[in-house]
Amino acid sequence: MAMGMPYGLQAMLKEGHKHFSGVEEAVMKNIEACKALAQMTKTSLGPNGMNKMVINHLEKLFVTSDASTIVTEMDVYHPAAKLLVMAAKAQAGEVGDATNLVLTLAGELLGNAEVLLRDGLHTSEIAEGYQRASDKALSVLESLVLPGTDTLDVKDKAAVALRLRGAISSKQLGYEDLLAPLIAEACIDVVPSNPHNFNVDNVRIVKIMGGALPDSQVVKGMVLKRDAEGSVKCVENAKVVVYAQGVDTSGPETKGTVLIKSAEELEGYSRSEEEKLEQYVKAIADSGAKVIVSGGAIGEMAMHFIEKYGLLALRIPSKFDMRRFCRATGAVAIVKLQAPQPDELGFAKQIEVREVGGANCVVLQQDASLGSVATLVLRGSTEGFLDDVERAVDDGINAYKALCRDARCVPAGGASEIEMARQVADFGKKQTGLDQYAIARFAEALEVVPRTIAENSGLQASEVLARLYAAHAQGQVNAGVCIESGAPKDLAAEGIMDVYAAKWWAVRLATDAVVTVLKVDQIIMAKQAGGPKPRAGDGDDD
Amino acid sequence: MGSVKTLNPNADVMGRHAATFMCVNAAKGLHEVMKTNFGPKGTIKMLVGGAGDIKLTKDGNVLLREMQIQNPTAVMIARTAVAQDDVTGDGTTSIVLLIGEMMKQAERYLQEGSHPRVIVEGFDIAKKALLEFLDDFKTPVDASDREMLRCVSRTSLSTKLAPHLVEQLTDIVTDAVLTIKQPEQPLDLYMVEIMHMRHKLDQDTRLVKGLVLDHGSRHPDMPKRVEDAFILTANISLEYEKAEVNAGFFYSSAEQREALVAAERAYTDERCRRVIELKKQVCGDSGRGFVLINQKGIDPLCLDMLAKEGILALRRAKKRNMERLTLACGGFAINSVEELSPDCLGHAGAVYEHVLGEEKYTFVEDVKHPHSCTILIKGPNDHTIAQIKDAVRDGLRAVKNVIDDKAVVLGAGAFEIAAAAHLRSTVKKQAQGRAKLGVEAFAEALLGFVKVLAENSGYDAQDVLIKLQEEQERGSNVGLDIATGEALDPQVAGIYDNYIVKRQIILSAPVIASQLLLVDEVMRAGINMRGK
Repeated sequence: MAMGMPYGLQAMLKEGHKHFSGVEEAVMKNIEACKALAQMTKTSLGPNGMNKMVINHLEKLFVTSDASTIVTEMDVYHPAAKLLVMAAKAQAGEVGDATNLVLTLAGELLGNAEVLLRDGLHTSEIAEGYQRASDKALSVLESLVLPGTDTLDVKDKAAVALRLRGAISSKQLGYEDLLAPLIAEACIDVVPSNPHNFNVDNVRIVKIMGGALPDSQVVKGMVLKRDAEGSVKCVENAKVVVYAQGVDTSGPETKGTVLIKSAEELEGYSRSEEEKLEQYVKAIADSGAKVIVSGGAIGEMAMHFIEKYGLLALRIPSKFDMRRFCRATGAVAIVKLQAPQPDELGFAKQIEVREVGGANCVVLQQDASLGSVATLVLRGSTEGFLDDVERAVDDGINAYKALCRDARCVPAGGASEIEMARQVADFGKKQTGLDQYAIARFAEALEVVPRTIAENSGLQASEVLARLYAAHAQGQVNAGVCIESGAPKDLAAEGIMDVYAAKWWAVRLATDAVVTVLKVDQIIMAKQAGGPKPRAGDGDDD
Repeated sequence: MGSVKTLNPNADVMGRHAATFMCVNAAKGLHEVMKTNFGPKGTIKMLVGGAGDIKLTKDGNVLLREMQIQNPTAVMIARTAVAQDDVTGDGTTSIVLLIGEMMKQAERYLQEGSHPRVIVEGFDIAKKALLEFLDDFKTPVDASDREMLRCVSRTSLSTKLAPHLVEQLTDIVTDAVLTIKQPEQPLDLYMVEIMHMRHKLDQDTRLVKGLVLDHGSRHPDMPKRVEDAFILTANISLEYEKAEVNAGFFYSSAEQREALVAAERAYTDERCRRVIELKKQVCGDSGRGFVLINQKGIDPLCLDMLAKEGILALRRAKKRNMERLTLACGGFAINSVEELSPDCLGHAGAVYEHVLGEEKYTFVEDVKHPHSCTILIKGPNDHTIAQIKDAVRDGLRAVKNVIDDKAVVLGAGAFEIAAAAHLRSTVKKQAQGRAKLGVEAFAEALLGFVKVLAENSGYDAQDVLIKLQEEQERGSNVGLDIATGEALDPQVAGIYDNYIVKRQIILSAPVIASQLLLVDEVMRAGINMRGK
């Protein structure tokens, strides 16, 4: 019977709905999915992390160890796992680094929660315990801040490069000595007088295939992957005029018809058009400008006159590139084709068309004092490799931004995690309620970082952990895993440090995501929407 | 039953017992789903939409709306809950629970052979008595008592959000309502703009006394921050508008065409110039800022003109924000350039732009006498934001209700326990004959709230109920302390519910329960039956 004798939720919902409830069905399944996700990204953690080959729904191939790329391209569907992915994305948005830490930590926390659930603890007790433990861990983290790191001269290239090494080495081990100074140079070039306002957008990355990574360089200014329009290919110390619209004869909004009665008139009309245009270009040339930049098309006739007056013409179709170009040269984009006012002109030290790796590029070089845009030109053998390096550089730039806001650093190589774990465990033992078990498990989960670093480096994880704990018990709070020998080592002395803000957000977001997953006791899934399914071939329709 | 079959052989029919059984079961089923949400210790449900989008909620209304229920009885109950939300903004879970409980109690009597009509009669008597009792029970309050408003909004919010957020949002919501409250005028909650940014943590949610617009200036050279600014709210088109009639032009030289282009612009430029003139007139050389917020468009040429004068101009502002702007900053919106005068300008201490990835936000803050404000919700992901948004809406409604009702009702189950006792001790005695059964069922159903509350907090429902009833018999108002499972005085703990919410529940729950009980046949027939 169509209506049946409904009981329970399932019968009340629309066809195709799925519904899970209770600890066994909902919570455990969620944990299972999240663990699977974390398991996958875990092996990519740390400097010796493995790469993943991901092919996304557009058949694009990614070879990367960057967790946020992996999870974004993987298109996770499971709702609980998706919560973790969102946490990772939030981390990417806030600090742009340590996304893998979020996933790995969250996965470990959930795995431990599963054990607690089997022991008979209620989800709310676990959630509460985790929350308290994370508060404690964060306060421990604050105490771990390496002395002297809270102030950093963000203009000092060597010091900045040193701080950036940590972020780079976890993505591109072996290249950190090469990339860190490059990133530092580019960032320092564009950092405004108030470092808080540092804009990630001002450091551009241009990938050009060919050559090798050591050929990469920083250009103070911009690199556009296109050729100049005319035959003038190089100017120096030139004034620049920028038009937001195309450089061509302007038409009215209302439709117009040219009324011509005789051949003379036709000729006269064409000539008047040409004269008009020549007037404009001449006016531009007279104003002293040597470079014309157009946001739209440059008409053939206009091009002719531009050539005639020996100007360099450049087309920048992207609105955003245009704005950057304006910032880099100090020009004001003019909306109408008219002679520029002196204050609307920009200045370029050198604009030149260079051939890099078989492609012509327009390179705008500025003096350091003028530049508000810097470009990192990355060279490499394959597209996949370049993409991966780009992600590492992105992380590096974000790390710089984080440093500008909060320069504090904490010991790297799992040292801060071990110390947090140790102190949180102590804190847990002092608790009287049921949440002490959850706190103890939280501490255990933090061990995942040094353990994974050790595992990924082919070391004996338990042995490394034991030695780390021993070192920390003796007061060496900065001791982390040395990926070569496995012995505890103060990595800060070698200049390997983690950014405090990245760790703070990672612990925070991972805990939040885990608590959310734990608190859900019922999932109601609507029928998956999508395009029309292939017809099942029943004759039900009219 | 047979008769319908004769008329339409395709019809689905359920006889009396099956029909009652279905109704009761649907109500019980819905009750089962919703009860874990109830109260501050309720759990969260995860809803996954067709496109894989995630929604986390504790709010009964959201749950019912998103669940796409199909069972006819359940749909009826869900609609009542939606009506409850429309009228009061809260109590959706409660109403579903009450209906479920009432059906459950009624079922017991039905199985013992009572006629549904008898029980319905009892429900009706109980309902009338309860409405009178509620009027006696309520606590009249002064609408300007901030502490009381906070208590009510806290009670409402704590059933929807995690504890660490509740305290913070309580203040935000209360202050938001107090900001827009104007003496002698009905409250318009639309004057509180709710804006969200996917950014930072949920604890960063805050109240902006002023306005946040979700777009920025469209010109790179406009100032990103102006201080001590005049605000011009306008509804003037600053772009070329095509003529309605089809017109064409003839020209025979480039000069003529240039002239035509210039003439086209002249009209728009003129309007833009008028705005600039006004700016020059009021600002002079004082260095004060000038902000133009336009409901219509501004074309690039005008933007350019305005930017050169250092005017921050926003185009295509939302209509509702235009109204809020004048309330927040003062001045009034103008519709034509002829009206431009210094009187129509508002004022704000700071107007600045905030860029978040690709999105731009404009903050109009630091206004003198705000009668409109913005609750700026932040959160690391969409589902957190959605959850807070729903809660904030309910919280605002809760505060508004107190101001409208000028009364509150003790919460934490205190009203339910007192009402059940009142029904049993007084009303039942007055009721004649078998209607007593209905009154008894109603009383028992009311206690269902307390039981669910106790269950969700991890205590034994019967234990708690008896403990509370004993306490109540000693003549005091008692509610349940969800932290300890003991009795508490809601007045001391500051737990208050809305009067209108309770009233609405008592008004509509018995009606639906009665209707469902009186169903004796369910028929499904019609065109859609073909092919079944």
